[in-house]
Amino acid sequence: MPELETALRQLGREVELPATPDIAAAIRPRLERPRSWRRPVLVAIAVALVAIGAALLVPPARTAILDWLGLRNVSVVRVPELPGARPLGRLDLGERVTPADARRRAPWLLVPDDKPDAFYVDDSVPGGRVTLLWGAASGPRLLLTETTGRAYIQKVVLGDTNVEPVDVGDAGVWFRGQHVVMFSDRNGVFHDTRSRLAASTLVWQLGGLTLRLEGDLTKEQSLRIARTVG
Amino acid sequence: MVSRPQDESALVERARRGDEQAYEELVRAHQGIAFRTAYLLAGNASDAEEAAQDGFVKAYRALGRFRAGSPFRPWLLQIVANEARNRRRSTGRRAALALRAAAEESSGDAAPSPEGVQLAGEDRERLLAAVNSLRDEERLVIACRFFLELTEAETAAALDIRVGTVKSRTSRALEHLKEAYA
Repeated sequence: MPELETALRQLGREVELPATPDIAAAIRPRLERPRSWRRPVLVAIAVALVAIGAALLVPPARTAILDWLGLRNVSVVRVPELPGARPLGRLDLGERVTPADARRRAPWLLVPDDKPDAFYVDDSVPGGRVTLLWGAASGPRLLLTETTGRAYIQKVVLGDTNVEPVDVGDAGVWFRGQHVVMFSDRNGVFHDTRSRLAASTLVWQLGGLTLRLEGDLTKEQSLRIARTVG
Repeated sequence: MVSRPQDESALVERARRGDEQAYEELVRAHQGIAFRTAYLLAGNASDAEEAAQDGFVKAYRALGRFRAGSPFRPWLLQIVANEARNRRRSTGRRAALALRAAAEESSGDAAPSPEGVQLAGEDRERLLAAVNSLRDEERLVIACRFFLELTEAETAAALDIRVGTVKSRTSRALEHLKEAYA
């Protein structure tokens, strides 16, 4: 038997395997960690204040507690009544692309173990936004949205909506129940025409990425999926 | 080159504290074996490359859960191999690729093995055919143990089976090879 093992080892040296690509260089941008939180937070506060005043038209006296939950690019505004917002429509997600195209246009994209049914890219969100969809486009079972540090997300929640910090990635927050979600445009402004109604959502930060997972899931199910992403 | 273990735990510790350069050194030390393992499991170079990239990124994010002082390579190979398996599953391809010998002329230039054995062309083809005729699970265990020269623990991590299963499957595969190759 040792003879056979020796022959196998020798054969292994002669088996054709492709050359190893430079993986270290390829993943360098994906390892980036947040270096400073102050400036983005200040920008986000400014952006959020503009949004509260200009876009949402929430009466100033009745607004608004901003919750900063350790997510650099996400602000939370509590309101007594949700502003009118459309339910999810296909256009909200952007352009449908192939998985390869999504990776090309967003090299930082993380894809969970369970492969999505569709990929969408929206270039109108600063830095690009990719949405992975499971289920039918007309009634998605699950959405995973990924944006970079250049995009800001605002969550408008009712006073009693459960907003809870959770342990996932660098920082995470669980939003239980319906709320309104808005993505900033290139100028950092939120428009109510671009807002939509969202179901329970897990938002978390991984290095330079902000991820949000939305679907009809419990907190535990969402966390389990989130932890397979990265 | 693989760093000495004490250097490696220092690198892991630095990477765990967010030192990207330390992690890059770890990636450079292990990208070869990670890519080749992914290639065996995914069956093609582009899926293997993606699997290795995603695996290294996930491992970096998961360093907080890595048990300090334990060997890094099996842990990493487990993550990368899992990525590779998922890619293969999602495309519905068969479990392991058929291995091919490198072209004759390049094998002539290959460094002589430590054992001083060179397989004659005909023996090589016959042994390779025997390996390729094994069931997927046996071919993979042979490829991990003898072609990639992974340890039993690393093979177990890469194939997501127990060390005991690696041992029994290897000896069964060797028996089958012996029959086919004798």
